[in-house]
Amino acid sequence: MKRLADWLAGPLARLMHERFGLSPTQLTWGAFWLSGAAAVAIAAHHTAAGLLLMALGQALDGLDGTVARAYGLGSEAGHRLDTLLDRASETLIFLAFGAAGLVPLGHALLAVAAVLLLTTVCDRSGFDPGVKRVALYFGAWIPYPTLFALIFGVNLAAYVIGLLLIDFQFQGRMDRLGGDLDTVASRAVALEHAERGGAPALDPLTSPPQLQTTEAQSHRVFTAEARRTQ
Amino acid sequence: MTVFTHILATTLGVQALDLHGRDTALAYGFGVAVDVDHALKAPFYLRAVGLQDKRGYYWRSSLQEPVAFLWIVPLCLWLGTAVPLLFFAIHLLMDYSVSFEKMPFYPYSHWVTRGWLVAIPDKVKEAILCSVLVVANVALWWARR
Repeated sequence: MKRLADWLAGPLARLMHERFGLSPTQLTWGAFWLSGAAAVAIAAHHTAAGLLLMALGQALDGLDGTVARAYGLGSEAGHRLDTLLDRASETLIFLAFGAAGLVPLGHALLAVAAVLLLTTVCDRSGFDPGVKRVALYFGAWIPYPTLFALIFGVNLAAYVIGLLLIDFQFQGRMDRLGGDLDTVASRAVALEHAERGGAPALDPLTSPPQLQTTEAQSHRVFTAEARRTQ
Repeated sequence: MTVFTHILATTLGVQALDLHGRDTALAYGFGVAVDVDHALKAPFYLRAVGLQDKRGYYWRSSLQEPVAFLWIVPLCLWLGTAVPLLFFAIHLLMDYSVSFEKMPFYPYSHWVTRGWLVAIPDKVKEAILCSVLVVANVALWWARR
């Protein structure tokens, strides 16, 4: 899908980068300022103009990734900035709909909250239905309060599903670890922390001392338990 | 806690608060049906353990951990009712009195705890709570009859 998008946006990306000398970061910021202008227009009751600016912002936002991939300029910091400014753009636009009285301000804030919640887990879960500001283009046919209910509901549901998907990943880890089932969560956590080089987050009051372990110790516990259960 | 104890606690709450219609459905949804994640974990259990009965398997998920407040609070604000919040909190309080391992804030934190009242055997806690809930349910029903 990304390859198709890159192929379609390729000529425009070349124009932006080679002709105008714009970097992916500059394109990301450009997209954000266009979204900010869209929010101002929507709040001032120029909804159609606001949606047009929002569309231009989203087009520019799509180009930053294309330029980054085509010219090998992609980075983790660039991805973080892109995500941060995307959420900031959505926040401004959603609040603008609230300020213009097109939806209750509380519902706009809750839609923002749902989108932000999903953002905290979607990279790890790999699940994001993509129903955010793009839904607002359907405002000519569907009332905005319904669209905001949709955005809220879909993103909140996607957040719950994302949490479960991450849980299932961890469950797989616990199942592979095996051994004493009563301590498998703390041992899996200890192992994960050891891999990352951090300290395990165990409850000192309730966790047996042997569970506050390094990776090697955790394997010893597992091996001993495995022998016992055989 | 067993699903039966959760049903008793939720029924008591529904009776005490005189809930009807949507609120009753929300009460049972967040007081009992959040246990649906045990069913979602069943394929993992079958793959890891098989058909034998092995106690202590990690059946929990973030669907019934305190981290779920992050989505339940916005949902309550949207719906304009605190019923999901209240009944989910009751569900949590009961589950955290059972001494198996729990990860309250996973995936944001890897903190592992066993909850409270860990010194009292689980079966004793369940039996006492179950008895109290049965008596309270019957007493409330009798008083309102």
